[in-house]
Amino acid sequence: MVRRDLSAMGSLRQMLVCGMIAISGVAHAQSATPGGMPPPPGMSLAESAAMRFPQPVRVGDLIGREVLRPVESQDVLGRVRRVVRSQNGQIKVVVEFGGFLGVGARPIAVPVDAMVLLGQDMEIVAFTPQQLRQFPTFSPTSTTDVANDAIVKVGLAKPSH
Amino acid sequence: MNRVTPETNGVATSSVTRGRRLHPWPVRIMHWVNAVVMLIMITSGWGIYDDDVVIRGFHFSSFWRLGDWAAWSLNWHFAGMWFLVINGLIYLVYGFVSGRFREKLLPIRPTDVVQTVIDTLHFKIAHEDITVYNAVQKLLYIVVILAGVSQVITGIAIWKPVQFSGLVSLLGGFQNARVLHFAGMAVIVGFLIVHLALALLVPKTLWAMIAGGPRLKPGGRAKEGHVA
Amino acid sequence: MRSPFRPDMLPDARVLDDHRPLIRSLERRGLIRSGLSLGALVMLTGCDVRRPEAVESALLAISRLNDDVQALLFDPNKLAPTYPASMILRPPKFNAYYDVTDVKPVIAATWRLELAGLIADKRAWTLADLQALPQTSIVIKHICVEGWSYIGGWTGVPLRVFLERVGADLRAKYVAFKTADNYPSSIDMASALHPQTLLALQYGGETLADPFGYPLRLRTAVKLGYKNPKWVTAIEVTNKYPGGYWEALGFPWFAGI
Repeated sequence: MVRRDLSAMGSLRQMLVCGMIAISGVAHAQSATPGGMPPPPGMSLAESAAMRFPQPVRVGDLIGREVLRPVESQDVLGRVRRVVRSQNGQIKVVVEFGGFLGVGARPIAVPVDAMVLLGQDMEIVAFTPQQLRQFPTFSPTSTTDVANDAIVKVGLAKPSH
Repeated sequence: MNRVTPETNGVATSSVTRGRRLHPWPVRIMHWVNAVVMLIMITSGWGIYDDDVVIRGFHFSSFWRLGDWAAWSLNWHFAGMWFLVINGLIYLVYGFVSGRFREKLLPIRPTDVVQTVIDTLHFKIAHEDITVYNAVQKLLYIVVILAGVSQVITGIAIWKPVQFSGLVSLLGGFQNARVLHFAGMAVIVGFLIVHLALALLVPKTLWAMIAGGPRLKPGGRAKEGHVA
Repeated sequence: MRSPFRPDMLPDARVLDDHRPLIRSLERRGLIRSGLSLGALVMLTGCDVRRPEAVESALLAISRLNDDVQALLFDPNKLAPTYPASMILRPPKFNAYYDVTDVKPVIAATWRLELAGLIADKRAWTLADLQALPQTSIVIKHICVEGWSYIGGWTGVPLRVFLERVGADLRAKYVAFKTADNYPSSIDMASALHPQTLLALQYGGETLADPFGYPLRLRTAVKLGYKNPKWVTAIEVTNKYPGGYWEALGFPWFAGI
């Protein structure tokens, strides 16, 4: 309906509509930068995590945290099961992902740089749920557990809504 | 049915003492004020809810929310609350003082409730006399009144958790008060769905709440011979 | 889902011309969200455009009335519940009107706390000056207007102590704050003088981290989160209503809990 009217409009109307679309682009949500945005294209996970003022957090305090999608409805993607270090030194968070009411969930290892702390929870900002479904099921063979009392640094984000 | 003449029922009838209506005008006014205000509270509440969802994964789309965004949902909610409470208080006082609650909502016998549910499931929604509420109706009206009161109490706890920290403790903490506030809303919305469906199925009840409904004998029942 | 209130036909564009000031003010007040703006404007101009302003004015008037009611309900002796230090969330939850990637850290060496308004001694304070004052610690619940909450621990100078020290007029109505992230904020004097209102320098016993307001933030137990500005750079005591960032966008001012 709108498209058809656009083609029939005079130049004044076209200017106004373009102006409104431009305004809408600037006034995104109510925030200058909305919460939980994925890394800009071309930026590595490590770089994007570094821009989020990573804060020290005790590994033991991460276990059991809910892992959320960075959207208004705060969909629960899973829970933190453990934190591991891969052979190349990368820290990954093992998330019990997917399933329904505890049935059908499987562990996946998400790089900590793809995640943020959000109060008492965590969020995965660098991967969509679709992408996460492609992650291989976690197997502990090539990783070592990080001790509960160890401190890791995790980036922050503001709530998404 | 036999028509009972005014002289034989022992009550002197004149135009003044014809008998009051099922829904006196104060009740009708308060009902419709409440209808509008409750809709404002519910839909603005949904807008506030979305700012930090109580049930993760569940939110209300913008079509259902009153208030373009959180600030205005809040403003609607904090404006509507005055009308809800003032209208609600007047209604409660009226209901008790006039005897309306006692007359229309009591007694409720459990066997009556079971029987009414069975009848309804068999689609025996008899409503020749709409001046007498069946057991399920009585129960639902009492539940929604209690839910409304509960919403005010949990709402106050959420609004002023430090000034009323004792109340918040009683409710199990701040986040728990939010959950209870959401649950109360769900009860009221559930009631609304049933209430609206039944009012539309028996339209003379809707008309009664606009025009007043059938006149009552003293004692609160419809005049005999009156097929409402 | 397409709202049934949305008109099927676009209105005459000249109607939009007449209401350009309203559109600009709506946009400035953050009422237009991305993706909805075209639809919202069509809806507005399809209906009576003037009505939203009248409704808004009424709602804001009631909001100001609520501020007065809240001021009456405020008990200056009522303390917010406190909690054991073991319950402190580390790190705390971040929030701002922008995401954390836009946080601009403050350089403490050049930072000064400026003073203005009804204050006798308006000399600026350094971080060391503030750290030398007696400090108080509180473990309280932070409650955001959005609805989330967490338990945090802050250490700092009670604002009352600071205001007395600099000879502020404690009968004035407002204490206003300016910040490094352009987030003006203000509170009523009664809340400013509350024992659980601090000029906070530490969180959880450690120096405030950059995202949480280093070197100085306001932390008051009797207000919602958005009344607790971070990266404070100036304090003014005044009788002229100072407003605030979110208040300019329609949020209530008193915001007491």
